[in-house]
Amino acid sequence: MSEAAGLFEALRRTERKAALATLIATQGAPPRRAGARMCVGEGGRILGSVTIGGCVDARVIEESAAVLADGRARRVAMALGDEDAWALGMTCAGTVEVLVEPVDLTRDDDPVVRAQREVAEALRAGHEVIEVAPLDGTPGRLVIHEDGATSGTLGDAALDAAAAARAGEVRGAGRSLVLDVPVGDATHALFLDLQRPPATLVIVGATHVAMPLVELARRVGYHTIVIDGRERFATRERFPEAHELRVGMPSDEVAGLPLGRATAVVLVAHDYKYDLPVLEHVLASEAGYVGLLGSVRRGRAILEHLAEGGVPAERLERVHVPIGLDIGARTPEEIALSVLAQMVAVREGRGGGSLRERKREEAATRAAERPSE
Amino acid sequence: VSLSVPYGPKILEHFRKPRNRGALPGAQVSQEGHNPLCGDRVRIELLLDGDVIADARFTANACAVCVAAASVMTELIRGAPLEDVASLTLPEVLAALEADLPSARLACARLPLTVLHTALTLHERRAAPGAG
Repeated sequence: MSEAAGLFEALRRTERKAALATLIATQGAPPRRAGARMCVGEGGRILGSVTIGGCVDARVIEESAAVLADGRARRVAMALGDEDAWALGMTCAGTVEVLVEPVDLTRDDDPVVRAQREVAEALRAGHEVIEVAPLDGTPGRLVIHEDGATSGTLGDAALDAAAAARAGEVRGAGRSLVLDVPVGDATHALFLDLQRPPATLVIVGATHVAMPLVELARRVGYHTIVIDGRERFATRERFPEAHELRVGMPSDEVAGLPLGRATAVVLVAHDYKYDLPVLEHVLASEAGYVGLLGSVRRGRAILEHLAEGGVPAERLERVHVPIGLDIGARTPEEIALSVLAQMVAVREGRGGGSLRERKREEAATRAAERPSE
Repeated sequence: VSLSVPYGPKILEHFRKPRNRGALPGAQVSQEGHNPLCGDRVRIELLLDGDVIADARFTANACAVCVAAASVMTELIRGAPLEDVASLTLPEVLAALEADLPSARLACARLPLTVLHTALTLHERRAAPGAG
């Protein structure tokens, strides 16, 4: 489900109208990505957040009240003072831009409501989608699907076509963008919000490490799937929060899943009978993260066996074994934490080390490069 | 941890290079079985030519002993009459594997044979006159 669709669903039970706030741009190190949403109901309920809380959200709530009062959308730029920037984790003062727009939750044909429904359906089907919002205060929504098809409108067919033509730019950047789109003599500011289906975590082995891993990964937003060949282990009692529990031939179950770049596969059965056949499938896929529970020695034995079977060395290199970040994890919960942290680090292209040390090294590098006076 | 097993070179050889492993397209008989405690899973698929097994393949997520037993078993039954296959015994499979297994591992070697016999029994029932 899209973030906004989830907020609408929660609000609709008690509110008729709401203001939807969308973080569209930031300068400085953003505490949340562009596309983050917050919804303020006419009755005062607040769901979601465009930042990690604090002053910006407070100002957005004030703007929401104004939007609810006059029914007009606003693009709000907020300059952050040093203190605010510090509170938000930014390294220097900057700006945050937020689109705040009215939504009639009772009307299925409200352009925002309709767009969220379509976005949610696309995400549920595993497709990425771009939701386009005008930033000049006019109502309208265009949804650009993965195959190039569009639905909804920004109010002008030529603008719809021009916006759709910029979808490749957004996909290339891999993130949501504010673009100035010229049509005729006019230039339209649009927010093209790239939304991707939730990352999936496939856990092979319904073990004691898998149990906390499911709980933590679900909190972080992963769709969780647990696979085992033993029905006595892959039970709802042991995995109350797993989205899917699958009992069967693990290699068959894995082979039946779409293993794209947004999928992490973690093998915690600690049993080569599952590790070998499952890895054969997983390493032939595009899975973004592959982790194997076990020691260096065990990992080497398994990878050597796969190499003998013809799995190329560059694929074997994708396996994180021993699994997890080096945080001294000992208990199942701690191991799960270190695995999840590594999954996120790999997804974001980070090393998973100390942020403080990295910042110190960057500062030292900048100081060394500064010309001496 | 080594993936080698101490029960004779033939088991290791069949585990490393299993014969007849993988799906069998067009199989008339397909049966899966598992050991609920250790999690070994084996599927046996058969292609029949009248009362003879024309082809047999297996898929397994199982330990080395179980994989080797399934591998050597498919070699034994390919081209064999159903009647002979129905009476195949565990000692015959172990003899083909040249293995002397401790009793604790006999269940591992027995699983493919159990699945095979279950498959044939169900096939026989389905093929019996009057079967629905």
